[in-house]
Amino acid sequence: MNGRTLRTLSIATVAAMGVSLSLVFFYAPIELEEGLLQKIFYLHVPLAIVSLGGFVLGGIMAIAHLRTREARWDLRSYVTIHMSLIFGVAVLLTGSIWARGSWGHWWVWSEPTLVSFLIVMLLYATYQPLRFAIEDPERQARYASVFAIVAGAFVPLNFLAVRLATAYLHPRVLGGASGLPPSMELTFLVSLAATALLFATLCCYELTAKRTRMLLRARSRILGFQ
Amino acid sequence: MTLPVATALPENTGDGYVAAAYIVFFVILLIYVAIMALRLSHVQRDLRDLRARTQESTRDGTRQDAAGQPRAYDDQTREREPV
Repeated sequence: MNGRTLRTLSIATVAAMGVSLSLVFFYAPIELEEGLLQKIFYLHVPLAIVSLGGFVLGGIMAIAHLRTREARWDLRSYVTIHMSLIFGVAVLLTGSIWARGSWGHWWVWSEPTLVSFLIVMLLYATYQPLRFAIEDPERQARYASVFAIVAGAFVPLNFLAVRLATAYLHPRVLGGASGLPPSMELTFLVSLAATALLFATLCCYELTAKRTRMLLRARSRILGFQ
Repeated sequence: MTLPVATALPENTGDGYVAAAYIVFFVILLIYVAIMALRLSHVQRDLRDLRARTQESTRDGTRQDAAGQPRAYDDQTREREPV
């Protein structure tokens, strides 16, 4: 990816984040029961959706790697999962802050939504140790791809299992009986788009940085400096 | 049925928690950008080093690999580098 595309993507992301924050704090109405605390919803939920989507995308890219044997798909899968983990940490922290304000507890172990997300995070926390425990680059890529596919398939299954759970405290605003007023829905969709754009931009930066480092290492080796 | 909307600011606004959540998010983003900047400075240093050594070896003659043959460079070589 060239510098101009990265610059355009970065400007679009900053603009989208700006619009999103403006809508959250100056346009979206205040919810009756939760008050301002509900504003965390516009940050926490898009982060969770993008993070889980990233894990699934990482699995799809891993399938492409196993099918084509092209190393670029493995690199893309790795970067997507890496970024999803960072977003996942943000989901856990913002969710805990919201839970403290709303429920009076930082964490509720009996809540399936929270525990299931933690399980997904812990599962993916083993991805990098597994990957870097293998020295041979081709074996590393192959094993990491298998992991990414299996774990990526686990994410929607896990989500579905939690959705089917009857006992939960965690609010179900999206796709449930209760919906969002149009102004809140618009703010949520803009926040989701901004978060997805941020994710894509950071992935592009990470990919470009990694490719540059790999190119540098390869050239050093070819020139006989390593 | 949609979520009820308040006409006035509720008593317990929880604004401290909202600020904390957004600050945590931006701090994570800032840490990530700082790490990226640090890595970029390493890449720039390696690039300077490589350029200096290339210029040095150009003065001394063409570099060759252990077998005494100049090495071929292609995309496949680069892609096989470990992540």
